[in-house]
Amino acid sequence: MAPRKRISKTEPSSPEHPSSSSKGNNNVTTTVAAAPIPTHRKPPLQTNDPPIAPPKWGLILKLSLFSIPYAYLLFYHYKIEAELQRSVIINAGMSVAGFLVTVKLIPVASKYVLKRNLFGFDINKKGTPQGNVKVPESLGIVVAIVYLVVAILFQYFNFTADSIWLVEYNAALACICFMTLLGFVDDVLDVPWRVKLVLPSIAALPLLMAYAGHTTIVIPKPLVPHVEMEVLDLGWIYKLYMGLLAVFCTNSINIHAGLNGLEVGQTVVIATAIVVHNIMQIGASSDPEYKQAHAFSIYLAQPLLATSLGLLSYNWYPSSVFVGDTFTYFAGMTMAVVGILGHFSETLLIFFLPQVLNFLMSLPQLFGFIPCPRHRLPRFDPQTGLLTGTKDGTLVNFFLRNLGRKSEKALCIYLLGFQAIACCFCFLLRYFLAGWYK
Amino acid sequence: MAPRKRISKTEPSSPEHPSSSSKGNNNVTTTVAAAPIPTHRKPPLQTNDPPIAPPKWGLILKLSLFSIPYAYLLFYHYKIEPELQRSVIINAGMSVAGFLVTVKLIPVASKYVLKRNLFGFDINKKGTPQGNVKVPESLGIVVAIVYLVVAILFQYFNFTADSIWLVEYNAALACICFMTLLGFVDDVLDVPWRVKLVLPSIAALPLLMAYAGHTTIVIPKPLVPHVGMEVLDLGWIYKLYMGLLAVFCTNSINIHAGLNGLEVGQTVVIATAIVVHNIMQIGASSDPEYKQAHAFSIYLAQPLLATSLGLLSYNWYPSSVFVGDTFTYFAGMTMAVVGILGHFSETLLIFFLPQVLNFLMSLPQLFGFIPCPRHRLPRFDPQTGLLTGTKDGTLVNFFLRNLGRKSEKALCIYLLGFQLAFYNRL
Repeated sequence: MAPRKRISKTEPSSPEHPSSSSKGNNNVTTTVAAAPIPTHRKPPLQTNDPPIAPPKWGLILKLSLFSIPYAYLLFYHYKIEAELQRSVIINAGMSVAGFLVTVKLIPVASKYVLKRNLFGFDINKKGTPQGNVKVPESLGIVVAIVYLVVAILFQYFNFTADSIWLVEYNAALACICFMTLLGFVDDVLDVPWRVKLVLPSIAALPLLMAYAGHTTIVIPKPLVPHVEMEVLDLGWIYKLYMGLLAVFCTNSINIHAGLNGLEVGQTVVIATAIVVHNIMQIGASSDPEYKQAHAFSIYLAQPLLATSLGLLSYNWYPSSVFVGDTFTYFAGMTMAVVGILGHFSETLLIFFLPQVLNFLMSLPQLFGFIPCPRHRLPRFDPQTGLLTGTKDGTLVNFFLRNLGRKSEKALCIYLLGFQAIACCFCFLLRYFLAGWYK
Repeated sequence: MAPRKRISKTEPSSPEHPSSSSKGNNNVTTTVAAAPIPTHRKPPLQTNDPPIAPPKWGLILKLSLFSIPYAYLLFYHYKIEPELQRSVIINAGMSVAGFLVTVKLIPVASKYVLKRNLFGFDINKKGTPQGNVKVPESLGIVVAIVYLVVAILFQYFNFTADSIWLVEYNAALACICFMTLLGFVDDVLDVPWRVKLVLPSIAALPLLMAYAGHTTIVIPKPLVPHVGMEVLDLGWIYKLYMGLLAVFCTNSINIHAGLNGLEVGQTVVIATAIVVHNIMQIGASSDPEYKQAHAFSIYLAQPLLATSLGLLSYNWYPSSVFVGDTFTYFAGMTMAVVGILGHFSETLLIFFLPQVLNFLMSLPQLFGFIPCPRHRLPRFDPQTGLLTGTKDGTLVNFFLRNLGRKSEKALCIYLLGFQLAFYNRL
């Protein structure tokens, strides 16, 4: 979650504010401050100026251009069954509606969130006037709720559903919902970081219970002579792997954070990669079960992409809202769930390459071998407006140390570009290894 | 939700605090007050004295005696298939574990909740020393989370499950989880009461989508000659009814509140009735599908009963914790879900008769025909410690007006006894 918050305090005291998750991520506890003003004294909500800046439509328009090649793939390049195509289009349409509702609701929710004093200050603007603006927190709750409604309603429109599908789908919804609940409880109550680590495993339980798929893995061809079998049934170990994948996806996004738009941005990039991968697999395959698995993933990933874009329109630099642990947990769980139920979790992990690298870099500090400060953020210079890398083990600082000082926006674009490159690398890898690996 | 809170404010001002739900229920916005003390300055949590009183084990022991007749019904009175019996017993065992975990976790959660200043003051103790104690709010979140874990894990042990069952079960879990989420968001953000009314319909969507059961109703025999048919397929109207049932169950518990232990107490009483009803129907019936429906209900109702008892051990008079909208929404939705999936929603409505009466009494004020004050609570007299009924249209005040002044504890027992008394007639 964005560690861009300076503590809002009623008493003047040191900025050292122990974060319950100072090792797990760069989160600083957002304070929940003084009592709200009685509403009968302040003007009615409707006549107030909106508390946050309008959404960044220009950004959204530029990003929407990506839908053109996507539509091409969906309609022309691949011959996909009419039924499946129709379901995907309906899902896409509902996702667009979800995007619009998210954009509409975020300012409304921001008022309530500010009223209850769930806000933070942008640390990477400390020393500038923007560093004193109260930025509403935990707006991931809006994304999650809109997403859940879209995903729930979509069941009505899936024409190729059978009982097994419905069980897995509802279990997936239960997981995502449970994770959102735990994430929001974390945002409000600020649970200790050890508990934070365990929460995704608990939230993943519905899926582990309902998962009726195969628990076998395909041995990579080069290893077959050594292992002497082609498939290996992992049984309960596979379920353990699923649980760990959920823990990883959620927390890795959480610690690869700290710049305006980074958390949502990485989600948007990965979700795009997932959706493209799904379409390609559906188009290129002839195994109906395989196609069904990837279709399943698309139905859950398209709404994620769309609602996250809605949040990005406010969270992109300069951020009008912060996303909260609610968002990173919700998004991480959704992606873990689609990776598991779509049976492409190894591919998903390659999409998550930057997060993996960030996690590996962070290990010495997470385990305490190297001192782990409260924030592992870069240093912000109010004069130049540029960020300088510290010695902390994060990808953000690594980029800054090697590429020199950068503005927050430029650095975020570099990091997201790196994310996109990792995804393209994955596609290339699959292309070259096809037939050799599996 | 308990309107027993006086507003904790940092500035001295009038007690008039507009509640976003002043018409919908007696909820007073619990303030989320000043910033937490930096943790490196205050002593580690483990060495603090517990912030709340220990659980009321005496009460729990007394209530547990009810499990004896229940076990009798389950094991001896009815001949129930071993498979089904085994599933019910495993579910009961897991529910007991859920009870213990809930009792263990509530004090822990209370620390965090207080740290984040989600608390209230007990309005029915205003003027006494207890009226100044900060009572942690929204502890329903603990109940809901433990419940969900128990319910999720139980799927592993249900030996008579098929695909349809799994779909409905997971949809039920999704509903209950979604409702808990929306309830907790409400507790934290304090959404307007009009939104509050709609939230349960949204949370009920997974069930409406997954519901594969019949949407027919059986026409009461006396009406058959007039209507000309014996069953009537309502189709989408039945789903609408399901959605409205969810709205009703949640909000009716929410407005029948205000005394220590009332919300959890009514949930415990209704859940007990549900479970007894289920066992009786399973035992007396020979239709496997019918039995399956009631078994389904038991698997979701037993954990509700157990975890609610865990909360009751702290919330019973005098309350150490408050339950929050989180609890009333969670409990209301769970009961609506079991009523729908168990196909006994009309019976459920009869179990909810006090809530129905309270709702009907409240209508004039809810619609604004009669002025609706912020609190529709009875008046507390710190000298005598007794409550006096006001002219408000609630069951609480009705009882007080007709039975005379009562202490909070006695009144709550009367109301819960009233809830129970109806069931003897069934």
